[in-house]
Amino acid sequence: MTEPRIGVYVCHCGFNIAGTVDVKKVAEYAKTLPNVVVARDYVFMCSEPGQDLIKQDIKEHNLNRVVVASCSPSLHEVTFRTAVAEAGLNKYLMEMANIREHCSWVHHDKEKATEKAKEIVRMAVAKARYLDPLEELEVKAEQSALVLGGGVAGLRAALELANYGLQVYLVEKSPTIGGKAALIGYVDPKTKGAEIVSKMFELIKECPRIHIFTNSELIQLSGFAGNYTAKIRVNPRYVTEKCTLCGECEEVCPIEISNEYNFGLNKRKAIFLPFNNAYPPYYAIDHRVCVKCGECEKVCRFGAINLKQEPKIVELKVGALVIATGYDPYRPFKGEYGYGLHESIITLFQLARMLDPESPTKGELIIGGKIPKSIAFIQCVGSRNTTPGAKEYCSRMCCTTAINNAIKIKEKYPDTNVYIIYKDIMTYGSDESLYEEAGKKLVQFVKFEDKIPRVLITPEGLFIEVFEYTIQENIRIPVDAIVLSIGMLPPRDIEELIAVTRVSCGGEGFVREAHLKLAPVEAPTKGIFLAGCITGPKNILESIRMGSAAAAKAMSLLSKGKITIEPMIAQVNEEKCSGCAICVGVCPYSAISIKNVNGDRVAYVEKALCMGCGTCNAACPSGAMQHLGFKDVQLLAQTRAVFGGEVNV
Amino acid sequence: MTEKPKVAWYWCASCGGCEESFVDLAERLLKVFEAVDIVFCPVAMDFKREDVEKLPDGSITVALINGGIRLKEHEEMVKLLRKKSKIVIAYGACSAWGGIPGLANLYNLDEVIERKYLEVPTVENPKEVMPTKKTIVNIPEAGIKAEIELTEPLPVLLPLDKVIDVDYYIPGCPPTPDVFWNALQALLSGNLPPKGSVIGASQKSVCDECPLNETKPEKILVKEFKRPDKAMAKPNECLLAQGFLCMGPVTRGGCKSLCPQANMPCTGCFGMLDGIVDFGGKAISYFGSILDYSPLEEREIKDAYEKVPDWVGVVYRYSLAASKLGHKARLKKVERIKEVTEI
Repeated sequence: MTEPRIGVYVCHCGFNIAGTVDVKKVAEYAKTLPNVVVARDYVFMCSEPGQDLIKQDIKEHNLNRVVVASCSPSLHEVTFRTAVAEAGLNKYLMEMANIREHCSWVHHDKEKATEKAKEIVRMAVAKARYLDPLEELEVKAEQSALVLGGGVAGLRAALELANYGLQVYLVEKSPTIGGKAALIGYVDPKTKGAEIVSKMFELIKECPRIHIFTNSELIQLSGFAGNYTAKIRVNPRYVTEKCTLCGECEEVCPIEISNEYNFGLNKRKAIFLPFNNAYPPYYAIDHRVCVKCGECEKVCRFGAINLKQEPKIVELKVGALVIATGYDPYRPFKGEYGYGLHESIITLFQLARMLDPESPTKGELIIGGKIPKSIAFIQCVGSRNTTPGAKEYCSRMCCTTAINNAIKIKEKYPDTNVYIIYKDIMTYGSDESLYEEAGKKLVQFVKFEDKIPRVLITPEGLFIEVFEYTIQENIRIPVDAIVLSIGMLPPRDIEELIAVTRVSCGGEGFVREAHLKLAPVEAPTKGIFLAGCITGPKNILESIRMGSAAAAKAMSLLSKGKITIEPMIAQVNEEKCSGCAICVGVCPYSAISIKNVNGDRVAYVEKALCMGCGTCNAACPSGAMQHLGFKDVQLLAQTRAVFGGEVNV
Repeated sequence: MTEKPKVAWYWCASCGGCEESFVDLAERLLKVFEAVDIVFCPVAMDFKREDVEKLPDGSITVALINGGIRLKEHEEMVKLLRKKSKIVIAYGACSAWGGIPGLANLYNLDEVIERKYLEVPTVENPKEVMPTKKTIVNIPEAGIKAEIELTEPLPVLLPLDKVIDVDYYIPGCPPTPDVFWNALQALLSGNLPPKGSVIGASQKSVCDECPLNETKPEKILVKEFKRPDKAMAKPNECLLAQGFLCMGPVTRGGCKSLCPQANMPCTGCFGMLDGIVDFGGKAISYFGSILDYSPLEEREIKDAYEKVPDWVGVVYRYSLAASKLGHKARLKKVERIKEVTEI
């Protein structure tokens, strides 16, 4: 090892650091540390002149290590790495000492903060002595992407990716794309969800680069960013493209079940068309309930039905993955606000669907067989801790959806009394105008707080008992129908999604983004992006935007045709590794395997898969697994320096 | 004729197993006697301390020292041997890291003495006779008047390198004859690694030599930790993968995986590999890594750990005295040793 020649640069960050830390003293102290050739302080190290100081010193003083004592690496590591690289030094020979977030911002006592800053600098210098130059790796990136989920977020992402020029595979579990937006009725007073979706279908039909797999699911994902291999199981639809939508098959089918495409408002057959504009525009057979009686096959005049179809496995090479598998509506338990006990207690999804002209009631408001004269929405069902089964979060879309549909009801049935029984109205942003309009249309708002409303089912009819918070009084509202404004849940099959894609869940059960502010839309695994309600409740607009954002991020990853891999990853010393395989089991990214090298079992790290989390490094019993950039010698030097111990390891 | 290399062999807090390993060289022992002169060896030869003191400084080629440093006498002797020897070798686990007697460092000296002289089930000491620094024997009828002074114990047991400079280490409890032989070959040939190295053993862990390593599943994940006194191990199957607390992955090889091959989990007597700072810390870290519970299943995790009654005894069996754990006894005044007894 050539003798380290270290330059230390202490940043004032204006007053951010200099206000609490005596930066001059820290720089003077740094000069006394072993191997430190030059130490300076400057008002803003990240500014051009600040960076130039470092670059000049590297050349003048022949520095081979740089320590910048300033802010968190998450803010300016890239800045300073680039600066040292421009001066001809390997950019991994720069170490940051965080004396802002870890010191000046959290202390008041200038003297003690200065002492602490010195210690932080001493640690960074100790580590810097042992830094190694590292080289980034490059791998080829497939110019294709897989989009999971054919709802608005997934469709938007697929369209964007295809527009960018990528080959896109869209995988949808159900027989049609469109997701819940296609069914939800009016998303604002003028627009139907189905219209938005239909427009997207038109664009998709015209786009040759989007291949749609319906009735399909991702069953295996291997590889790494730029080079994923996805295995898709394509379940049989049993109906081919010869289908003309004549509907004769549906009439003879003996199986009848609740129609999930109408949120249970009516029944459908085992052979069915999900909704009028479904895409692809063919009937499908629900393999979970079909008894294969063959009646449909007999009656079909076009030979479009083939009950002998088998599931197929398709293997796709993709550079990136966009997960947009959406949400499930909250499932109220039986008896939650009377749900399931009375035919006139329905959910918001059912109501919204009902008001869609394509619905079983043709857009008429018919609940429990009649047009209600008074109807009440109960808000926050399943959200905001209202009932025992409820989630803590706000589902974001229910207030606007309820108010929007209340307005629709008032427009169509001006004499119907509409109540919205709410905890807080969350019509944020421009949706606030809907709240105003509802007021003008005499929708009545009833506020509750901690005590939740009670639904009474009596021989005289339905009543809601609620302690009205504004007037501080118990009131009893007779109603003909009750709409439960249910929120959103993570999709039922999220466990399978996690098992296959290795994304992780946040506390609310939705998939977590790598960092909400610093790495939005990204999963912690490189090359996997998230869109729509899979990361938590959103309205349609937000989901669509997130679809665009995920596509843009996927594109920025793949557009160069190759992917740079961060070299701060795990590395095996084969001389020491005994192949004990502890590391294999702990790796969250399945990046490690055991391979045979000249008859010896040793661990092997797939560099492109390694995310540099360091778990294997900590678990390795023999010290064979080292984390480049955080090697044992580097961390031990740093640790010993905390206690003012010897600098040599 | 050139003079043969001189070898000294000394024991400190030792069980005698290390000496036994010397005898276990069997026929190879004759070659050792051909090659070297043994100048000091209390276990087998009647040389005294004065004999060593008379030797010129640096005249002993190699001093092999086994056992941990428990008594002042040990401390004095090893310092003397250091002065007289070119190369000092910590022989066996006790000398290298404190070994099993080093586990006494969990207790202060009084607790150790009470345990040893009063509480151990095999001890019968109704008069509570305790160790004494100085015993005055005065029997005028027999014309005996003498003072016997016992050496004092140190507050904690120390590995050899905490007392003197150590050149090399030969690991094992005890070192196997092959490891000893390899080390001797290296010493006699002069083909030695940098000072401070372990000699005679492997640079990889026990797993590397263990035939059961091949039987490991792709991922080692266990639901419980097993111990050989409570559960029967399936033969020909990796013990760790079965849930046994096998130290194979963290322990230096060279023993030819004798214990795992006899269906006994490795206990770690060859110590840690180069570059590892703390044996027990590393061991507990990988046991934690293979426990197959989500972080949320705290109860299950706790249960799995609590089934093992003596974690320190498992993961620091041979290395507690050399570990980063504090030595409890260090600051406490010893009260259980009497100053003077008169007979």
